[in-house]
Amino acid sequence: MFSSGFLTVLVYGALVWCAISSVALLAMLVRDLLQGRTW
Amino acid sequence: MLLQPTTGWILLAIFSVLWVGLGFYWGRRNKSFEDHALAGRNIGLALGSATAVATWITSNTTMLAPQFALELGIWGMLAYSMAAFGLLLFAPMAGRIRTLMPNGYTSGDFFRLRYGRFAWGIFLAFTLFYSLTWLVSMAMAGGILLNALAGIPYVWGMSVILGVCVLYTMRGGLVAVIGTDFIQSLIILIGIVIVGFAVLQNVSVEEIHTNLAESKPMLLTVLFPAALMAIFNNLLFGLGEVFHNNVWWSRAFAFREGVAGKAFTIAGLVWLPIPIAAGFIALASGALGVGIPSSDMVGPLVIANVLGQVGAIAVFIIVFCSLASSIDSLLAATSDLITEDVYRRLLHPLARPETLKRVAQWITLLLGLGTWAVCVPRIGTLASVLFFAGPLVGSMIWPIVTGLYWRRANSTGAIGGMLLGGGIGLIAYFQIGWYVASTIGTAVSMVWVLACAWLSKTQFDWARLREGI
Repeated sequence: MFSSGFLTVLVYGALVWCAISSVALLAMLVRDLLQGRTW
Repeated sequence: MLLQPTTGWILLAIFSVLWVGLGFYWGRRNKSFEDHALAGRNIGLALGSATAVATWITSNTTMLAPQFALELGIWGMLAYSMAAFGLLLFAPMAGRIRTLMPNGYTSGDFFRLRYGRFAWGIFLAFTLFYSLTWLVSMAMAGGILLNALAGIPYVWGMSVILGVCVLYTMRGGLVAVIGTDFIQSLIILIGIVIVGFAVLQNVSVEEIHTNLAESKPMLLTVLFPAALMAIFNNLLFGLGEVFHNNVWWSRAFAFREGVAGKAFTIAGLVWLPIPIAAGFIALASGALGVGIPSSDMVGPLVIANVLGQVGAIAVFIIVFCSLASSIDSLLAATSDLITEDVYRRLLHPLARPETLKRVAQWITLLLGLGTWAVCVPRIGTLASVLFFAGPLVGSMIWPIVTGLYWRRANSTGAIGGMLLGGGIGLIAYFQIGWYVASTIGTAVSMVWVLACAWLSKTQFDWARLREGI
């Protein structure tokens, strides 16, 4: 049986990962905009 | 119904005006078919990564992932996450596609130049069947979900979401699709994070675990055969879908040189946790005491129960963005495929770039109208038709992979692989079940394609992929 600790790591890990991803995408867009390499 | 219809209509109007306005604004720069279909082949890393993420987040990701968790437990969420490997494994292929075919337009171009016209014909039949089914299922899901969430009548909800996507895709082409995808991906990611942490304010993971261990221990079981089989099926379905579909190939062609591989890798990593972040909410339903009359609405029901109207509005926006980001991509990629592979290659080889752009716009409109006509009667069994396409999709994996990397891969292998893999996979679908159909179709295709390449003495000249486009 999957443990409570495993489920905690899975859930919090996924949510934090999503949060970091959204910040990273925004940061990448800003960098591309500053370099004139958006599209 | 979680929202008042008036609130639903206001949200629908705000986002419809936003997407159409941006589509028209960004579409002003499109002059030729290359601008319209491939955004001038100059998409950067940020937009490239986000568009792949947004397109792969369909309404299924946000609605079906909780259902998977509710029925298959922890393995269900992990199984759904496996679809990220489609993007991750396509990353090196996308770089190679861009290098081998710097002037390519569609995945059909690859089949025609690599394997000849007969294999190209089979590929077109398989991929158009799959793409149109996916498009219809997304539009239908739009109508059903807007009706369930806000009481907006099915036909009106479906018509608005489809009409909005047709308008901005037709006017703005891939530029509009990719631009709106960026905004939609951020809205979805941020929405999922806010909703997830808000749910965890009301119930701890430990409470969820304790409740499951007492009431549904199977959902915590490490050895859960159906869930383990679903992992392989989802993985292969994801690989087949991404490897063959013009939705992804058009992006590989559209990204600036050197961007494609990195963008798909980032997209896969960004997408990986989303089914878990969206799916765990379903596991909390028992601990929160939320009754679930219908498992496909478990996510919205739990969120609305915990967060009230704010949660319901968040779900509505997330679902609307998920739907739009997939429907627009499918419209754009399928109209480009028909324009390039049917109109240009079969009917009008000398068509001018401006003419091709206009044809692509008209085809987008016709696709929208055709989809609308199929969706109006509200056939409820389309999800099973999409699973039905699984073996067809799986049977195209090996012809594509070997065709991109192995000179000895040949037409006999590709044609036999698609026909045998697709055929035997469909027999498995009817005789055994959907959960093994893709796996069997892919395995049969693999054996045939590899055997043909192994026995062949032909050496394909990669330069031919640069020619004739």
